[in-house]
Amino acid sequence: MLEFVRRNRIIVTSGLLLLLSLLLVSSSARSRRRGDPLAAVLLEAMHPLQVAASDIAAAGAAVWRRYADLVGVRAENESLRRRLQQLEEQSGRLAELAETNQRLNELLGFRSILEGQTHAAQVSGRNPGTLFQSLTIDKGEHDGIRKGFAVLSPQGAIGQVIATSPHSARVLLLTDHNSGVDAVVQRSRARGIVAGALADGCVMKYVERGEDVEVGDRVTTSGLDGIFPKGILIGEITKVSRNHRGLLQVAEIRPSAPLDRLEEVLVVEPGARLPEPSADGP
Amino acid sequence: MRTFLTFVAAAGGALLLQTTVWHWLPLGGAIPDLLLVLCVYLGLHQHSVGGALGAFFLGYAQDSFSGGALGLNAFALSLIFMVVYLTSRRLWVDNAISKVVLVFLAVLIKTAAIIILLSIFLSTDGLWSTVVRHLPVEAAVAAVLSPAIFSLLAYGRQTSPAEDET
Repeated sequence: MLEFVRRNRIIVTSGLLLLLSLLLVSSSARSRRRGDPLAAVLLEAMHPLQVAASDIAAAGAAVWRRYADLVGVRAENESLRRRLQQLEEQSGRLAELAETNQRLNELLGFRSILEGQTHAAQVSGRNPGTLFQSLTIDKGEHDGIRKGFAVLSPQGAIGQVIATSPHSARVLLLTDHNSGVDAVVQRSRARGIVAGALADGCVMKYVERGEDVEVGDRVTTSGLDGIFPKGILIGEITKVSRNHRGLLQVAEIRPSAPLDRLEEVLVVEPGARLPEPSADGP
Repeated sequence: MRTFLTFVAAAGGALLLQTTVWHWLPLGGAIPDLLLVLCVYLGLHQHSVGGALGAFFLGYAQDSFSGGALGLNAFALSLIFMVVYLTSRRLWVDNAISKVVLVFLAVLIKTAAIIILLSIFLSTDGLWSTVVRHLPVEAAVAAVLSPAIFSLLAYGRQTSPAEDET
């Protein structure tokens, strides 16, 4: 027996230790009060080491976390930059849409005021030089656009159609030196012809010297040329020149429509007019 | 004596890691059991009563810090020591891969033993989700770390006289 124990002392020891462990578990399970002096010694001995190790680990973890955060922040920063760029583009598009929407609403409002056949069109091109003032629109003969139709915007007169193709048309602007529109000073009803002066806007010519014309007066279409409806605003007089000897006076006009920034226009067929009794333009 | 002290230092270090550093590592709450690796080492290389006692005290120390019922880990590690001891006497487990596999299996055996004891003496309520979530990671990490730990302990043994009692 002793020989067996001696030869198998490791197994026997392990078995006894297993038994001891079971007794410990059993007693510990019955009474959870841990009156274990060895455990207390172990805990006390390990305490300073644990504190130190915990501090070191915490510091290391904090450093690592900061590093990871930094890496994360960099990636996030990049991602946010991209997102910001996207949002800025989107915001730009939305602003553009809002602007377009506003312009179209104004155009629609203006169109609803006019009595007669009208065609909304988009500006698709501009004059290729500085000596002529014209623009191209995306509507043509197929859309019912004809040469001689007036072109308006909610802000006022723009010009007239001078050439057409099936799907586009060329518009001569008020500011082109070949342009001529029969006009009237809104306040005094003085008549004249508004011609283009290129970069200087327009001038109102053939106004009799005795007519009451002042700076700030609004000039509208008279409707007598058979192209523009009566009462459409052309612009505002910025300067009046009276020759000492001549019978006529000349007024410089700043067009009310933003001719260099037009995007949508309204093409008006002959016969269209603003409703009575208003003759003050849009 | 030096082997003993080396082993005590290793056990203290393992306990320290398990109670502090491991909790800071991003292992999803898993705590790799280095004390079990030491116990497997004892079963492989310390074929003596001292090895058996060492395994028991490794478990006892773990119990002291675990807050569970005293004796659970002591029982499990004593069992591991015996299983590894018997295995190493019958099978050739002297290469790195077999040791890694042995450690991995030892983690499973230890967990099973503790669960059985808990089901007998206490309760296993809410235990399974924790086991399922953490056991694979704990077993894998312990197995991966075991060659390095075995090498360190072997180095410590080489610098001291052999004390095996085979």
